[in-house]
Amino acid sequence: MNCPRLRDWLEERYDLDGIKGIARGKFVPEHRHDIWYYTGGITLFLFLLQFLTGMLMAFYYVPHVDFAYKSIIEIVTKLRMGWFFKSLHHWGAQMAILFLFVHLFGTLLMKSYRKPRELVWVTGFILLGISIFFGLSGYLLLWDERAFAAVRVATGGAGAFPVVGGFIKAFLRGSIDVTGETLLRFYAFHVAILPLVTLALIGLHLLFVQFHGMSVPPSLEKEKLREVPFFPNVFYKDLMIWLVVLGVVVTLAVLFPPEIGVKADPLAPPPENIKPEWYFLFLLQTLKLFPGSILGMNGETIAILTVSGAILFFFLIPFLDRKSGRGERSPLFTWIGIFYLIYFLVMTAVGFLS
Amino acid sequence: MKLKFSLVTRRTFLNTLFFGWLAAFFSGTVYALMRFAFPTLGKEPDFVVLNWKDFVDIPPNSVKPFPWGGTVGLYYKKDDGSMIALKGVCTHMECNVAYKPAERRFYCACHQGWFDADGRNISGPPPKPLESFAITKEGEKLIIARKGVKVELPKA
Amino acid sequence: MLTRHIQNHLKRLLNRTRLAAVAALLFWTTPLGAAAAEKIAVFPEVPYDGYIVYESLIVFWAAIIGLIVIIRMKLREIERTQALGADRQDKDAPLLE
Repeated sequence: MNCPRLRDWLEERYDLDGIKGIARGKFVPEHRHDIWYYTGGITLFLFLLQFLTGMLMAFYYVPHVDFAYKSIIEIVTKLRMGWFFKSLHHWGAQMAILFLFVHLFGTLLMKSYRKPRELVWVTGFILLGISIFFGLSGYLLLWDERAFAAVRVATGGAGAFPVVGGFIKAFLRGSIDVTGETLLRFYAFHVAILPLVTLALIGLHLLFVQFHGMSVPPSLEKEKLREVPFFPNVFYKDLMIWLVVLGVVVTLAVLFPPEIGVKADPLAPPPENIKPEWYFLFLLQTLKLFPGSILGMNGETIAILTVSGAILFFFLIPFLDRKSGRGERSPLFTWIGIFYLIYFLVMTAVGFLS
Repeated sequence: MKLKFSLVTRRTFLNTLFFGWLAAFFSGTVYALMRFAFPTLGKEPDFVVLNWKDFVDIPPNSVKPFPWGGTVGLYYKKDDGSMIALKGVCTHMECNVAYKPAERRFYCACHQGWFDADGRNISGPPPKPLESFAITKEGEKLIIARKGVKVELPKA
Repeated sequence: MLTRHIQNHLKRLLNRTRLAAVAALLFWTTPLGAAAAEKIAVFPEVPYDGYIVYESLIVFWAAIIGLIVIIRMKLREIERTQALGADRQDKDAPLLE
């Protein structure tokens, strides 16, 4: 932009050329898999969209057990375009988590986690957990029977952890059962605690990415690749893709606004054939695979421990995949990654169809 | 007539196009956001309808508050039995005023403003008297209206 | 005899406590039934408003596509200048005042 006086004013106080130098120094390698580089940015964009629409929802939502459901009906029926912003927040959440998984499996299969980028994976993994909790806590705020049942199952499942289970369950629920206390603290998580933690972690995650530069898949590492400057070339491409994503989310929000479910009733039985949000389906299906008791031990505890073990293994992949760390080919971990991906897809599909 | 040289550089052309379009795009978005965030910029009602029974029997030298849109109105029965309706909001900084029966005056605690029994500002910072309303009785209903407003009741 | 029998039955059926119980049941369950049946509109119901929403969606997409086209123009331009090597600014170039 051409504002010489503004530039001079700033230049007298800050090292603009230094900042520009850093920005100009950022290059992105070009190769046949470089389209995957955009997945992280799309996820970031969608989360920023969620922050914005979430702030709008917070203007009118009341996190009290007697008023929550009503406030949502007010938003949808009485406010101008309330139905649209709620729908946008809903679809933004679905897309954000979808692209989060795309980004996750992309970096897994292309081994972007390998040395020196282990901490990028670690921060990203924590962000994954936080995002799932974002989804769960946000969903409870609807206070409809489906959300209520889902949170009951999720917190009850957390309670199956040995030793700390009861403590976690009590902390999440705020009470013996899912009540207004749960609603209030899930609101606190969703609106205050998680956003701040997310911002901090995204800051770290991005900082590490800037420091290390973009990872190149192991098969292409030895090649001399053309490098494109991030500013403005790749940035423009990012913008174009983000605009398309925005268009898709808005279109979904307009054409498929979510229905308002039946208000939650703690005394009523859960509705028939109830299912959690799609990103929980694979967990639920896995739990269903375990019998009630194995060798005399509680089946649910075994299930929880097994699932946790699998997730822990997933988390530790950068540290276990020594070969990739040395720059060697690591087909074992490629297959492990593919296994995780297929398991996730199949279990989600089974959960959906059953 | 064809020009030999372009009047603007490519850069200026593209940047103007880009930022202009972006401005239009964002103003549309911001407009939608504003309409959402500013639902009904509170308008005060022209009149309110109350139950005559609730107000006719209050003791003399006392005040009964009634809702006036989002703020409060005061229905005031004086010593001699005559009744007026005032807006219970101080004309200084919009704090609610209280009635002091002993002094027969209205007091605003925020900056120690005083109004007399007819709502006139007599002491302290308030610049104007309390707004007064017209009282009419229509059957069982008590109608308190802004002065000069023609009250048209909806056909229930 | 039979009528007396029937009368006794009717009396029992319609005795006061029974009636009160039935009335209470009907009274308390009807609003619940009505609330469940009532569907909350998540999209403007009036067709006119609905058309405005679809029209806005089309305008929105036009805006997005326009923006994408402009950004692509900018991208082409910067790639053109980069290919010429003309995109770097000379720090010590004198300013024309």
